[in-house]
Amino acid sequence: MSNATLDGAPIAIGAAYEHSARVLAKARFPLVAGLGTDVAGARAAILLAEKLRGAFDHLASDELLADVEAMRSFGMFTTTANEARLRADVALFVGPGLTERWPALLERLALGKPAHYHRNTPRKAIWLGPKRSEGKIQGLEVETIAAAPETLPALVASIRARVGGRPIALEGAQAKRADAIAETLKAARFGVAIWSASSIDGLAVEALQGLLTDLNLTTRFSGLPLGARSGAAGVGQIAGWMTGFPPRTGFGRGYPEHDPWRFDAQRLVESGEADAALWISAYDGEPPRWSRKDLPLVTLGPKGASAEHGLFIEVGRPGESHDSLELAQEVSSFVLRQATKPDAAPSVADVIKAIDAHISENAKC
Amino acid sequence: MLTCLRGGRVIDPATGTDAIGDIYFEAGRIVAKPDGGAPVETIDVSGHIVMAGAIDIHSHIAGGNVNTARLLLPEKHRAIRARLEGTPLSTAKWSTYEIGRLYAQMGFTTVVEPAMAPHQSLQTHLELAETPLLDTGALTILGNDDFLLEMLRDGESQTAINDYVARTVDATKSLGLKCINPGGVAGFKENMRVFGLEDVVPFYGVSSKQIFQALQRATQAVGIHHPLHLHMNNLGIAGNIDTALATIDASQGLPLHLAHVQFYAYGKEGKNGFSSAGAAFAEKVNANENVSIDVGQVMFSETVTVSADVLKQYNSLTGANPKKGAIFDGDANGGGIVPYAYQISNYYNAVQWAAGLELFLLVKDPAQVFFTTDHPNGGPFTTYPELFALLMSADLRAQMMARLPADVLEQTTLPSIKREYTLYEIAQMSRSGAAKLFGFTDRGTLKVGAVADIAVYKDQRDKAGMFRKAAHVFKNGERIVKDGEVSHYVTGRRLHTRPSFDKAIEKRLDAYYDELYGLPRTIFDLPAAALPHHDAFAEVSCRS
Repeated sequence: MSNATLDGAPIAIGAAYEHSARVLAKARFPLVAGLGTDVAGARAAILLAEKLRGAFDHLASDELLADVEAMRSFGMFTTTANEARLRADVALFVGPGLTERWPALLERLALGKPAHYHRNTPRKAIWLGPKRSEGKIQGLEVETIAAAPETLPALVASIRARVGGRPIALEGAQAKRADAIAETLKAARFGVAIWSASSIDGLAVEALQGLLTDLNLTTRFSGLPLGARSGAAGVGQIAGWMTGFPPRTGFGRGYPEHDPWRFDAQRLVESGEADAALWISAYDGEPPRWSRKDLPLVTLGPKGASAEHGLFIEVGRPGESHDSLELAQEVSSFVLRQATKPDAAPSVADVIKAIDAHISENAKC
Repeated sequence: MLTCLRGGRVIDPATGTDAIGDIYFEAGRIVAKPDGGAPVETIDVSGHIVMAGAIDIHSHIAGGNVNTARLLLPEKHRAIRARLEGTPLSTAKWSTYEIGRLYAQMGFTTVVEPAMAPHQSLQTHLELAETPLLDTGALTILGNDDFLLEMLRDGESQTAINDYVARTVDATKSLGLKCINPGGVAGFKENMRVFGLEDVVPFYGVSSKQIFQALQRATQAVGIHHPLHLHMNNLGIAGNIDTALATIDASQGLPLHLAHVQFYAYGKEGKNGFSSAGAAFAEKVNANENVSIDVGQVMFSETVTVSADVLKQYNSLTGANPKKGAIFDGDANGGGIVPYAYQISNYYNAVQWAAGLELFLLVKDPAQVFFTTDHPNGGPFTTYPELFALLMSADLRAQMMARLPADVLEQTTLPSIKREYTLYEIAQMSRSGAAKLFGFTDRGTLKVGAVADIAVYKDQRDKAGMFRKAAHVFKNGERIVKDGEVSHYVTGRRLHTRPSFDKAIEKRLDAYYDELYGLPRTIFDLPAAALPHHDAFAEVSCRS
């Protein structure tokens, strides 16, 4: 059973697929965006973008690419939540909203309990710039440092400088505090820094990775990034093995080109370069942020979501309506999420397959 | 449809064949010459070499670390040309699709990914499932994992270790075991920066040697064909030949495969304190029939090093080119991704190049030595044709040697070696020997009943050119390459072995995961049924 609407009015599903195929195939530069979906959905979507010689982007690419950009321009230390749980004697939380991004974070790290290794060493936790409601861990005292997100890069940089014994511009209590944090971090045996690019910017991520690089000169310290919403981290991986690049990649020349500015969905739509879009948000039904209402649009979203204009096709939520493979934050690897409330709603992959059946290979060649 | 490849020079070491002849195949298998009745399709391959499809025994083509390399280095793999019809993403550089296409064009039909972390096995399988044109398999990494190290610390029986090994290989659908710097990666998490064969892992009180020996015994006991595939300690360090020789001495007379050993064939001679010990290494291999090696040849090129030896990769960061890298302290192993450029004018790189060739040329039995560049660590797999050409021509090697820094030639025996590989020996190394190493009975040969994976090369003086673009490649009897171009995709199979074990180990693992991680063990299970092409698994039987 499937539901579809065209400009708010019900349309037969077969007609919806045909209509979608027509909209996308006749576009000069179609966009496959949102990409809030699982492995099967992302694979199908990227293959469709390639066939159409369009571009693909994820709705949380700003956050995803903040981490990717720090890695590819500087380098990156990462670990898993499991290793943090088993081994971390110092946890450095960076930025606000970490427990909103991943509600199970603190339970998973279990920092209030002794680590599997160094069982008798008490753990320490420092939180730079938490939200007011954050920064409490059961069974463990947390040293919190108030800081607005925009001041985090400088704060992290000052700690990094003190780790390296370099002078800083801060004075008095602030300088003392930077020294004390630096000493705690240097004394860690296996420290883990936890951040989310959903709440700190790329500069802060790079500053943090710089700090980790210096700490590793004498001890071990790694990082645990929290992935952005709607499966962004997983889609980044899938795009990586399929095309070599993360989202914001286009196929206009018949091969993938990656450019975070050029293939930003928002920019492509607002500038008029994209002349049709397939928008996918199967987890949350999040609407696109662009303001253009005249763009020919096909939206795939869960029950309850709806598109005011264009074609809407209802899909099941991955891991709820149907079994789904996705990158799991709790283990930093791909896992199977078994359907919790199986129903007959089609998956994103099912719908794209049905649309694709109406688009010939040579449509764009 | 019955097809005949007529009049080619058939080289099939598995059957001792090197003669002009015809090869028949039908329904995906090699068949005997039929009695009467003309074949439906005859392809004239006179003037061509006909071999089984090649097998790469060690190439990092899939998994989280490989994917990190893609994302780390976008500037190293910009695509430049549109793909041909019917082959989506085949020109997307470094993609799984391009890997399939480039291997197929060289006549390769089976490739083994040698480093699959148990907790990351789903990603490896997802990538392999999306690698067209090739049959693939993987090796599962153990040796830095808490469960095994605790078993060893607690002096548990070999039987218990065997069950754990067999269960892990079965559950991750692999071809056997890989062990990477045993204990050293765990040690690095406790800030050890060097870790040798006799070094002891913090918290566990077991040495690297004890770990690999226990895994070696387990591999044999449970009937896995492929010997323990060992990435030794001290990779890349001057004087590490001592580690390699001591490792062979510790091999208990049991089968052992040593990976990318060029990276361990270093002495400390010369004014730079870095010399080739390729000759000493080869001599040791010649004296130890239980040992097989792959070389990990360095080819002068820009590349990226990808390894689960996190300790070694961290130490390599200072030499990164371009200057960046990714270090992942994962569950048990993890990985380190460090870009690097091997340069012919660099003394150390030139010694590495020479040491690798010495190993190829001085190991006497071609069934004990396998070509690899440890893709992409010594160079990309696309350099294999050049490597084969170097092995087949002393002249070509001399031309290259003339371009090396002069003092390199004082630190290697390479100039004195005149041996040239024959096509038959190349086929032994890349077909029959490779099949035997994994217990493949249906490939690496053109005998009747084998899978019709066939590579046909136009015989020519330019051996690199010959191997770079196969004239025809057949996969399961279907032509996928003509004149060096892939015509369309076919889906490959994922090869794996299924050693048996006492199911009680699963109950124990359930309790262990619950206690240690607070997670159900099943979260790491490979959900084979949910994979794309999930029906494409094929079992390689265990030794009885």
